[in-house]
Amino acid sequence: MAESKKYYKGIEELSNGSLTENLAANEFASDLSTDEFLGDKEQLESSSTSRRDFLKYVGFSTAAATLAACEAPIIESIPYVVAPEELVPGVPDYYATSYYDGHDFASVLIKTREGRPIKVENNDLAAINGSANARVHASVLNLYDATRLQAPMIAGEKASWGDFDKSVVADLEKAVAAGKEVAVLTSTVLSPTTKKLLADFAAKYSTFKHYQYDAFSYGNKLDAIAKITGKRAFPTYKFEKASVIASFGADFLGDWTGQSVSGDYAKRRIPGKDMSRHLQFEANMSLTGANADQRYKMSSTEVKKSLLALYNEIAKAKGATAYANVSVENMAAVKSAAKELVGAGKNALVVSGFNDANVETITYAINELLGNADSTIDWTHRTYFRQGSDKDMTALLADMNASKVGALIINGVNPAYRLEGTAKWSEAVAKVNSTIYIGYKNDETAMTSKYVGAAHHNLESWGDAMPMDGAYALTQPTIRPLFDTRQFEDCLLAWCGNTNTYHQYLSESWNSSILSGGAWTKALHDGVYMSTSAPMEMMEESSEVEEVAVDYSSAANGLAKLSSKGIELNFYQKTAMGVGNVANNPWLLELPDPITRVTWDNYITVAAADAVEMGLMNKNQSNGALNGSKVRINLNGMTLENVPVLIQPGQAIGTIGLAVGYGRQGAGKAADGVGVNAFAMMNGSDVATNASLELMEGEHEFACTQLAHTMMGRKIVNETNLSSFLNEDPTSWNEKPVFETHQGAFGSDKVNLWDDFDHETGHFWNMSIDLNTCTGCGACVIACHAENNVPVVGKEEVRKSRDMHWLRIDRYFSSDMTDEVADKEGVNSIDKFAEMEKASASPDVFFQPVMCQHCNHAPCETVCPVAATTHSAEGLNHMTYNRCIGTRYCANNCPYKVRRFNWFEYHNNDKFNVNYSMNDDLGRMVLNPDVTVRSRGVMEKCSMCIQRTQYGKLEAKKSGRALKDGDIKTACQSACDTGAIAFGDVNDKDSKVFAMKQDKRMYHLLEEVGTQPSVFYQTKVRNRA
Amino acid sequence: MQLTMIHRLKRIFSSSLVAIALIFNSLTAQAQEISGDAANGKKLYNANCASCHKLDKKLVGPALGDVTQRRTLEWLQSWIKDNQALRASGDKDAIAIFEEYNGSVMTAFPQLSEQDINDILSYTIEGSKPKETVTGGPVGSEAPVEVESDNTLSLVMLGAILLVLVLVLVKVKNVLKIVQKEETTSLLEDASSFTRAAVKNSKVITIFTILIAIFFFQQFYVAVSAVGVSQNYQPEQPIKFSHKIHAGENQIDCNYCHSGARKSKHSNIPSASVCMNCHAYIQEGPTTGTEEIGKIYAAIGFDPETSSYIEGYEEKPIKWVRIHNLPDLAYFNHSQHVVAGEVECQTCHGPIEEMEEVYQYSSLTMGWCINCHRETKVQVESNDYYTEMHEKLKEKYGEDAEITVEMIGGLECGKCHY
Repeated sequence: MAESKKYYKGIEELSNGSLTENLAANEFASDLSTDEFLGDKEQLESSSTSRRDFLKYVGFSTAAATLAACEAPIIESIPYVVAPEELVPGVPDYYATSYYDGHDFASVLIKTREGRPIKVENNDLAAINGSANARVHASVLNLYDATRLQAPMIAGEKASWGDFDKSVVADLEKAVAAGKEVAVLTSTVLSPTTKKLLADFAAKYSTFKHYQYDAFSYGNKLDAIAKITGKRAFPTYKFEKASVIASFGADFLGDWTGQSVSGDYAKRRIPGKDMSRHLQFEANMSLTGANADQRYKMSSTEVKKSLLALYNEIAKAKGATAYANVSVENMAAVKSAAKELVGAGKNALVVSGFNDANVETITYAINELLGNADSTIDWTHRTYFRQGSDKDMTALLADMNASKVGALIINGVNPAYRLEGTAKWSEAVAKVNSTIYIGYKNDETAMTSKYVGAAHHNLESWGDAMPMDGAYALTQPTIRPLFDTRQFEDCLLAWCGNTNTYHQYLSESWNSSILSGGAWTKALHDGVYMSTSAPMEMMEESSEVEEVAVDYSSAANGLAKLSSKGIELNFYQKTAMGVGNVANNPWLLELPDPITRVTWDNYITVAAADAVEMGLMNKNQSNGALNGSKVRINLNGMTLENVPVLIQPGQAIGTIGLAVGYGRQGAGKAADGVGVNAFAMMNGSDVATNASLELMEGEHEFACTQLAHTMMGRKIVNETNLSSFLNEDPTSWNEKPVFETHQGAFGSDKVNLWDDFDHETGHFWNMSIDLNTCTGCGACVIACHAENNVPVVGKEEVRKSRDMHWLRIDRYFSSDMTDEVADKEGVNSIDKFAEMEKASASPDVFFQPVMCQHCNHAPCETVCPVAATTHSAEGLNHMTYNRCIGTRYCANNCPYKVRRFNWFEYHNNDKFNVNYSMNDDLGRMVLNPDVTVRSRGVMEKCSMCIQRTQYGKLEAKKSGRALKDGDIKTACQSACDTGAIAFGDVNDKDSKVFAMKQDKRMYHLLEEVGTQPSVFYQTKVRNRA
Repeated sequence: MQLTMIHRLKRIFSSSLVAIALIFNSLTAQAQEISGDAANGKKLYNANCASCHKLDKKLVGPALGDVTQRRTLEWLQSWIKDNQALRASGDKDAIAIFEEYNGSVMTAFPQLSEQDINDILSYTIEGSKPKETVTGGPVGSEAPVEVESDNTLSLVMLGAILLVLVLVLVKVKNVLKIVQKEETTSLLEDASSFTRAAVKNSKVITIFTILIAIFFFQQFYVAVSAVGVSQNYQPEQPIKFSHKIHAGENQIDCNYCHSGARKSKHSNIPSASVCMNCHAYIQEGPTTGTEEIGKIYAAIGFDPETSSYIEGYEEKPIKWVRIHNLPDLAYFNHSQHVVAGEVECQTCHGPIEEMEEVYQYSSLTMGWCINCHRETKVQVESNDYYTEMHEKLKEKYGEDAEITVEMIGGLECGKCHY
């Protein structure tokens, strides 16, 4: 009965027949509601629109729209109604001004195009700080930050300045009437005119008190100096006169007393008999330590003790009294340093970091013994970049907590961000009747303030400064205020009842007390002014300092009894972020740290040995990206969670480093939530002992721009020491590759696969990079960003190695394993290379700026299928974006890996809107109109600032003269205050670059490849035997 | 324009000699003996006086139409020659008028002879006569309207002749066939049999297909090459500004208004303030009267009635339509071409001085740029910048070689694309 056999589709059909019948009947559970969707059924049926008609209409309208879109849009060209006299559209104007944000000070020139500031350049006229660091170079972008405060606010509501002033003055008067303090809290006030204005303010509000506080304070050092010298200000340090420099934890090439010393320092770093010798004692691997000839790593406690030991050694040599005996781990280092310093006599210089009065006192004593007061340290020209006082802050907090403060005016500091963790700022500020904050952002302090006044950006403000005795600088606006903002000084004037603008007040003050007959317009034009008469007194409290005998021995005892328990936590400032004043800056956030090469983060740096002991790890993912452990830091009852760990060669054992300036809130889209706030654990002192680490769950994802740390025995950075350089033949330390051919042995310039270009006719642009004077500070990288509209890609993309920097500063650590060591110990080559990959625990550090090398036999040119990259008669490798089809063959064939590919459209793309310099209308104002903004799918690279070479040539042609050396400077070159980069025409035999090309230190990067680059490097020479 | 004026004036004066004589008679009746050549007077007036005076209206200075009735000839002579001296001599009228015009000093004209001044004064009388006498004359000669040669008609005629020829030939053929006593065929039958044969012939079809393909390809190529090319683009501008009047007839140097061309990459459109340098005084144009010039006043806030700027006026920028649009990827610098290259504006912009409305003369394609760079000679001799380079180039290309832009790297991609 096979035919009656029934097959069930499943057990359900057998056990529950009705269900499956139902399901079968309703295979499509319900009718699609097309009727509802299409509306009235009858009408639909009566209508004559068929499916075919519908398709016809769609087709037609698409075609019509396409055709209509072909019509070129009408582009309007709107000239001025009344054109400003000084402005020619298309020609840049430069204004001299000064940048000061409460932390960084620099005299700069601002390049404006059609009234928009677009670039910061150094002001060569300035006697002090005429060069901008990376942060100042990047500050022009912060002007166009749409997340700036755009109008004043009262209790979170937008208000007019009129109402704002009325309420503030009422509150101030109420405070005075109640006998409560009207406190003004600022960062260091560098401006003599602001000080004068504050005095006017004090006259109006009798209970006025002024507190100065620096986020990364050197208040205790200053107190020590005041005690010794009677004046609370740092001297001017003359690094160009120092033949031996010993730095004890002072990161003077990074952030120190505010004085910019790298230019002076570099003057003595050019190899020769005059080259200075630089010794560094430190715990963190700092930028300064990386440049030192001899770096001794030790905990900061040991550094301080070594300083005392050094004093005792020098005292011994000089026959002076030694102080408390101290035992240090590395006495040999101290002894040799003492010997060298004594040998250098008054050309020696000892500098120290740490916000520690005892350290400063002993440093002073050492320098006194060395007798360098008139040579390497100038006490008659004090600098005023740091005036903040920790005692001021303690007093203010005490007054606030005791409800003695009626009104608190804050400018230039962000106390809620700085002090919340260590001093419970929000609790203290709650006891103040009225808090007035004049700031840029709706940031941490703004959130705890009743009145928030929207402040001008520095480039919209008037102002002045006296950075050094006798040296004055002016700040002038380079653009009309973008928003309804007002600068701090104008607020003070309004609250004083003074109807003048600060501009008027400033020029009157200058004419009456500073210029002494000099012309205001001249000073404004130059941006700086050197006073010949007695300088205005910056330090009103200097007279109050009692002349007491300085107790060196108690300072020495203080240092001698220092001891360290647990882990020592060293706070430091990153090159890119400083104390976080310009935090919301995508250029800076993506600027790789010079030492760690990490972007978009802060983290603790630990020594490799410590990491092994504590079970902390760093490991590379399959795509190379770095992951690291996360820890919780415990310190005196305070904790900081989810802190990433980075293993740092050169970090002293038992210490960790942590950068401040990150972990912001309310700073803006780019900065918020990036990193952790180290200030939450930082008291006045920048060194904290007795910290402990706990490993936390999970891994942190780093975005590094360099994953290899060593040169693996290759001559990428050619290095030698001074004695070899002076005494040996260059072939022994600057060996050139030689190729054996059937005709004999030739250098790389003679062995060619290609025909040579004619480089005799016209210009032949070359660039020399001196690895001795390059400090790795990163100013050039930011200058390149600003000049060439280099996109920012964000952390995720950097992690995929898709960063777009045209100019990168490679950093290499030395390794303990070398070819010589391997030969001696008989290590096999696999083990040798495995060891070579590891950086030494106490490495030498090398910085090497690498941009397109503009090869004269360029591997990229030969592989481009569309000839988008071609060679110019002037020795440059051109990149034609509009011709590029994005095969990326060129990048693959580039031995220097300097070609960067636009994986995405980085402008007008919401996915990349952290980079407001390309993604909102305001931010775009910073773009250089002479340089194309590249599109997706296009390769780009350094053009050697071809817009500048073309402009320089044109200016010469227009005035009918020959081009002079120095007429054309690339952006990186003009940003470099150490003069490490020289650019010019080597066909001009008088040019600097021609001389550099003949230098015996000259070598080409990967010369053996035979690319014949137009960029060459100068061998790094360390001053040691 | 100047030529036209002279023609017009000549005609006016030769035809209305009698009228002028009568006017002189009437003047003598007013006890003012001014005997001058009003034609010369007009020239002098336009050159020296017109920037501050109008005949019928107060400008910077008073209206001059009736000045001969207000002042004596001697007074006018001495005032015009040196009004400051006249004031210094204590002349009351002179001081009064100086004060009336807020102490604005009139330029002295010592270079004008007595006869010149008489000529000017006679023009002031003549010029302020009711318009009929002036406009009564024939309108100045205008350029003859060029009739575009249209060949449609001749083509139609040619077609008709051919048709007739075909018909005649068919007739002839049929007659011959009748003679041969063959069957005659009509024109239509002939045509269809020919077509049938052609359609069956594969060679014919191949040739036709190829021809059609070539035609379409050519059309496609032309269409695609025209994408983004806006040659002859002539948008309507917010002000009917005539380059023909300004640059052509009045011979104003291009660089006077487009001053950026010598200094900058942009040859800027002048700001309204530059227009006002002349149009504060020239308040009426020859073709559009006050309408178009009024638009400048509306932009900048100028009141032509009082000849003064309106205080606190909210300026309204003029939105010109940009004609020459290079893509952003190409860098072009005007000063490079105008100053360093000494290229005439017209080389790229065409006969701008003849354009009533500006249009894009050149294609502005890369091929067009390249061609020019291949052909244009560099000013190596007159510019010290090139001295050293020129020596080397001579070694390379020969002593007498003409150095083109191409030879100094003007065809390299990176020179314009960065």
